[in-house]
Amino acid sequence: MESNKKYWKGLEEYNNTPDFVKNNKNEFAEPLPIEDVLNEAGLSTVTPRRDFLKALGFGLGAVTLAACQSTPLKKSIPYLVKPEEVTPGIPNYYTSSFNGQSILVKTREGRPIKIEPNPNAGQFNCGTDARAQASVLDLYDVSKLKAPVLKTKETTWSEVDGFVKSELAKAQASGKKIRIVASTVNSPSTNAVIAGFITKYPATKLVQYDAVSYTGIIQANQNSFGKAVLPKYNFDKADLIVSFGADFLGTWISGEEFTSQYTANRNYKSLENKKMSRHIQFESGMSLTGTNADTRVPIKLSEQGPALIALYNAITGGALPGGTLGNNTTADKVIKLVAKELLQTKGKSLVVCGSNDVSTQILVNAINASIGSYGTTIDLDNPCYLYGGNDAEFNGLVAEMSRGEVGAVLFLNSNPAYDSIDSKKFGDALAKVPTKISFSDRSDETASLCDVVAINHNYLESWGDANAYEGYYSIVQPTINPVFNSRQAEESLLVWADAPVKDYYQFVRNNWETKMLPALGIKWDEVLDKGVVSVTAKPAGAYSFSLSLAAVATSIVNSSKALAKDVELQVYENVPMRDGKSANNAFLQELPDPVSKVTWDNYVAIAPKYAEKLNIKEFDVVTVKGSNGYSVDLPVLVQPGQAQGTVSIALGYGRTKVGKAGNDVGKNAFPFVSFVNGTMQYATTVTLTPTGGHYELAQTQTHHSFEGRNVIREATFKEYLKNPAAGTGKGEEGHKNYDLWDQYEKPGNNWVMAIDLNACTGCGSCIVACNVENNIPVVGRDEVRRRREMHWIRIDRYYSYETKDGDVTREKEIAKLEDLDHVSVVHQPMLCQHCDHAPCETVCPVLATVHSSDGLNHMAYNRCVGTRYCANNCPYKVRRFNWFNYWNDSRFDNYLNNEFTQLVLNPDVTTRSRGVMEKCSMCIQRIQGGKLQAKIEKRPLKDGDIKMACQEACSANAIIFGDSNDPNSEVSKALRSERIYYVLEEINVKPGIGYMTKIRNTDTTVQA
Amino acid sequence: MRDISMILKSVWKSLFLFSAISVIAVSTVSAQDAKEGRTLFKAKCSSCHALDSKLIGPALTGVNDRHPEAFLLKWIPNSQGLVASGDPAAVKLFNENGKIAMTSFPELDEAKVKSILAYIKEGEPKPAAGAPGAVDANTTAKDGVSGLSIVGIVAIVLIAIVILVILGRASKLLERLILQKQGIEIEEDVPLKVGVRKMFKNKKFVMFFILCLIICLGSFGWMGMWNTGVHTGYQPVQPIKFSHELHAGINQIDCQYCHSGAFKSKNASIPSLNVCMNCHKAVQARDKYDGQISPEIKKIYNALGYDPETQKYDESKSKPMEWVRVHNLPDFAYFNHSQHVVVAEDAIRKAKGLQPTEPVCFACHGPVNTMEEIYQYSPLTMKWCINCHKETDISGQKNNAFYAKVIEAHEKIKKGEKITPALLGGLECGKCHY
Repeated sequence: MESNKKYWKGLEEYNNTPDFVKNNKNEFAEPLPIEDVLNEAGLSTVTPRRDFLKALGFGLGAVTLAACQSTPLKKSIPYLVKPEEVTPGIPNYYTSSFNGQSILVKTREGRPIKIEPNPNAGQFNCGTDARAQASVLDLYDVSKLKAPVLKTKETTWSEVDGFVKSELAKAQASGKKIRIVASTVNSPSTNAVIAGFITKYPATKLVQYDAVSYTGIIQANQNSFGKAVLPKYNFDKADLIVSFGADFLGTWISGEEFTSQYTANRNYKSLENKKMSRHIQFESGMSLTGTNADTRVPIKLSEQGPALIALYNAITGGALPGGTLGNNTTADKVIKLVAKELLQTKGKSLVVCGSNDVSTQILVNAINASIGSYGTTIDLDNPCYLYGGNDAEFNGLVAEMSRGEVGAVLFLNSNPAYDSIDSKKFGDALAKVPTKISFSDRSDETASLCDVVAINHNYLESWGDANAYEGYYSIVQPTINPVFNSRQAEESLLVWADAPVKDYYQFVRNNWETKMLPALGIKWDEVLDKGVVSVTAKPAGAYSFSLSLAAVATSIVNSSKALAKDVELQVYENVPMRDGKSANNAFLQELPDPVSKVTWDNYVAIAPKYAEKLNIKEFDVVTVKGSNGYSVDLPVLVQPGQAQGTVSIALGYGRTKVGKAGNDVGKNAFPFVSFVNGTMQYATTVTLTPTGGHYELAQTQTHHSFEGRNVIREATFKEYLKNPAAGTGKGEEGHKNYDLWDQYEKPGNNWVMAIDLNACTGCGSCIVACNVENNIPVVGRDEVRRRREMHWIRIDRYYSYETKDGDVTREKEIAKLEDLDHVSVVHQPMLCQHCDHAPCETVCPVLATVHSSDGLNHMAYNRCVGTRYCANNCPYKVRRFNWFNYWNDSRFDNYLNNEFTQLVLNPDVTTRSRGVMEKCSMCIQRIQGGKLQAKIEKRPLKDGDIKMACQEACSANAIIFGDSNDPNSEVSKALRSERIYYVLEEINVKPGIGYMTKIRNTDTTVQA
Repeated sequence: MRDISMILKSVWKSLFLFSAISVIAVSTVSAQDAKEGRTLFKAKCSSCHALDSKLIGPALTGVNDRHPEAFLLKWIPNSQGLVASGDPAAVKLFNENGKIAMTSFPELDEAKVKSILAYIKEGEPKPAAGAPGAVDANTTAKDGVSGLSIVGIVAIVLIAIVILVILGRASKLLERLILQKQGIEIEEDVPLKVGVRKMFKNKKFVMFFILCLIICLGSFGWMGMWNTGVHTGYQPVQPIKFSHELHAGINQIDCQYCHSGAFKSKNASIPSLNVCMNCHKAVQARDKYDGQISPEIKKIYNALGYDPETQKYDESKSKPMEWVRVHNLPDFAYFNHSQHVVVAEDAIRKAKGLQPTEPVCFACHGPVNTMEEIYQYSPLTMKWCINCHKETDISGQKNNAFYAKVIEAHEKIKKGEKITPALLGGLECGKCHY
């Protein structure tokens, strides 16, 4: 049953540091002063009689006074005129879209409370990412402005309109330029609005720029194939995926969509058909995608270009110069093998690269063309419009502004004062613009430099549309009346342009009804109902690459040489924070990074061996100084798998004017980005100097330990093909089981879950979905450090590596520290297992946690007295204790402790009070709701009627929930899979959640 | 306690009612025409017309002077016909009133129309001097019903006892003084103090006394603690003196008409004011308030910013109606109305022995149709919920396909045990607490 593989969550666990051992012994990290109280002042001291009487008298008086209060009146306030579609207590769902992704918005009594994926979205229905799930909280953000601002004073819209119109007219008359600076606009209606604005003010131009840019790919496609587009990638059609630093499961272009495509070839259904794709990742920092790769090879940033050249040469037999990987022999070896494999799987493989360098992407195009990817795994004819920013245009704009040529500038959904590469230069340039207008919803870094903040609606208050892919349109419709005195940016533009139709709803509708709907023969109401409109996709053409690569190779080699200095820095988007636009979202701040499990901070990730070489320890604060002179002090995180000689820092942190929760969290890494060869480059060289300081990151990775018990089971694809139950421990002789508990029948339903470890990528959107659904409080950095995060579902990330020589001792492993570069990773979602023989139930002195006849472990909060015995006795460590009244405690002011933000709460779930335990309830409110619906409709419950919040959000469909008493339910089928094992089944608690083994497609014929 | 005050209330009410009716009966012997006209007016005209105010149609007081009787005799039974025939007066009248067609009443013959006109001419019969009380009895605030009268009675009894004791003592003293003056020696009583002391030396008595004390205090304490936080009979003062007795009882309005949520959702939902306006746009109870709109109905208008004269809404003047919640479940208890009134209706009816005419709501909310002002009828404690879940027989649910499957699976039920919600897991914590 036990394999030689060792799994560990963090280096402290791996090295068994004294701190880790000490902390792990206790359920709660900080010792409670019970002993002190009992030993010292508690029992030995004597209370004088007078003091006792005083206390008694006061107590009696206080209680009497408190009891005098009459019962508080509870008001019940009905609607004056109830909207017809609202029934109090019943949710309404509206279609909308978030960043081009079609969603359903669940509203209760007129307030949006949850985001769910839109089942009508067809092939684009692929769960929701953490950002989309958390976005509902942004609506209830107290840090937003409540009225438009003119010259730092709150004002009315008519004042703003008067001012802006006269200023725009002035700018237009003076012959100066007007610029709209926006992150990618892919909304047809917004584009029409801007076109109308340009007609009124012909000096206007739209400058699109994205904080994290894809200009490199777009220009490379222009160069290679004459199509300046971001292609549509089809990971589901690829049997072999080779990625060079592209975090396509996390942050690259459209993570959730790629996740669903990617897992379609790797999940249990695919495995049952004996089919699994293979994924090889070359990267510097450990990314979410890297952790899921079958083979991951750490390469330096400067080695990426040469590696691609080597791959190109190996595939085509060409002889481009510069394809040497120096002393990275592993990479060298793997590249040769990969080339062979790619040639074997021609037409069914895909090479992607995360670089934003045009030359590098041209080379990638050449490789993809030579392995026949175009027309199969890459579709240039139905391109993606999610990112269309142009780095050079934005740089040109800064130059124009500093030359004083720009008369007015408008910032739409963009914040260059924070996320441009040189915010000082940008600020200076901006100061020379006479009229500066921002459409931000808050006084952020850019808006605070502007004359006018024409506060925009939140997307949940807006009308609009999006065109994420060619022929795929989704609608944005409001789900709540504007909360503050805001106005949609498009409407502001319409007003300022004196457009004939100023109401943006009417404008969007007209735009659809005149331009799109007649051809499709559908009505506007149907569009609103479905949320999406898809035109039949064009056939994807095959493209051949015929250009010379000599200049490209030279350019790649030169940039690689420029980069190849100690220390190479990679700045990257991490999954929770992305580009920092939602930095004030407490749910996202507290979502642990999928790899490092750090919350509420960014950090310098560095490989263990390299840290040792530089004599830097974990949590040491270092000064990172870039080649452009920018420097920040950040704590160090030792990250296994990070390439030697490189460090990584996440973008999106260090906001200064975003709001209570997000201000001054981490440090801004955007200034490390450089502008080279016409595009933004996210790699640079830096120097590291320890400051001597120490800063403990709030990291959740070792908080809930299994004491080294074997909870992960895995097998290789080869082993799986021989024996599907490989690695599960089935068929091995176990010990005899004895039951402490009686067996109870579960005649009605038996709610269980199956989790496919091979599908789960660890992205964490389930965590946020659970937070929103179940009113889980945010506790903040300090409390996370004290191991008091409240997440009901967590994703345990285990590192491991294969040891070849039988049983190894810890000492020997540590000696081979370089092996930490080649760790493999498993993500395991861990939540209450709803054990049939639950250890927590046995120890509860007040029967607050008991079992139900449908297989659930119930938790009655109002019965709990907070002994915490259950948490101590839970082998899975999934119970959470409310140390504070998080909803009503000024110490948690930054998060949800205010009436406005509390509107996001799910009214069907109790908010828990201080001193009680809580844990995953298996979304019991959804189970009960689904059952009731069936009862009212007088029909049996169908499989799929009830979906868990985590399951719904999952892009990978890794979580399957249902009734195991129904032999035809999806979950019953999944649980009959040979890959199923139960975590800690040897202790015979009979968990209700089955896990499927992790399968790695590592040993292939090519390698042999 | 409630019963006594309720009885008192109903006695008062019937007394006033009786007197009012008798007074009215005496004062209205004359004007048989007008009386018949009044009945006809109420039946045929009042949904569009009032005497003193404009509703859908114009106010009718003075209509006898405005138009010749001959015209009215033609107009009222068939106004549209008259307009169509091109009668200038009729066309003028039609245009003046917004071209809203008046319903034709072919059933009204000349005598009947004359009666109506007589009624309009005479106006609403003024109630006699004593009668206003009859109105008041229904509308005066019943704020103090919650046992205040009982406390008052007890206090009066106590005071009376104290006075009696004092008087007794005084008379005794006086008697003794007189006897002393007459020179008659009286035997000195054993002082009370000594007597009590003597009594307390009797161990049996002490034992008995202490036992009684413990039993009394214990049972009082037990009852007190048991009922702490139980609000049966809770009847707060509401912003509008809304009478369920009038609406659900006398007028027989179905519960669902206002509390539509109860049959769909977890919330029964208090109706929004636009639901009130469905009727109260026309129903203004002017006949009870000297031709004025009832002050309680006016509260609806005020909250909505509605002007009954112009029949226009002014949203800027609207303000929410803050009712006081009567049935307060704690936040941690989940209760769903639709589960009980839709899914379990038959079982609950059977268990609570409701008549077919009574709505299922009565099972927990009590005889709402007799509640002048709503109060909490059931204790709403967990014990109360659980008892019902333990005892109610839900075997009838077999007809519901959802339950059919669940029930089929149950071994116990196959053995012939009674099917209760408890048997299907209805007592498990997580079914109501999450």
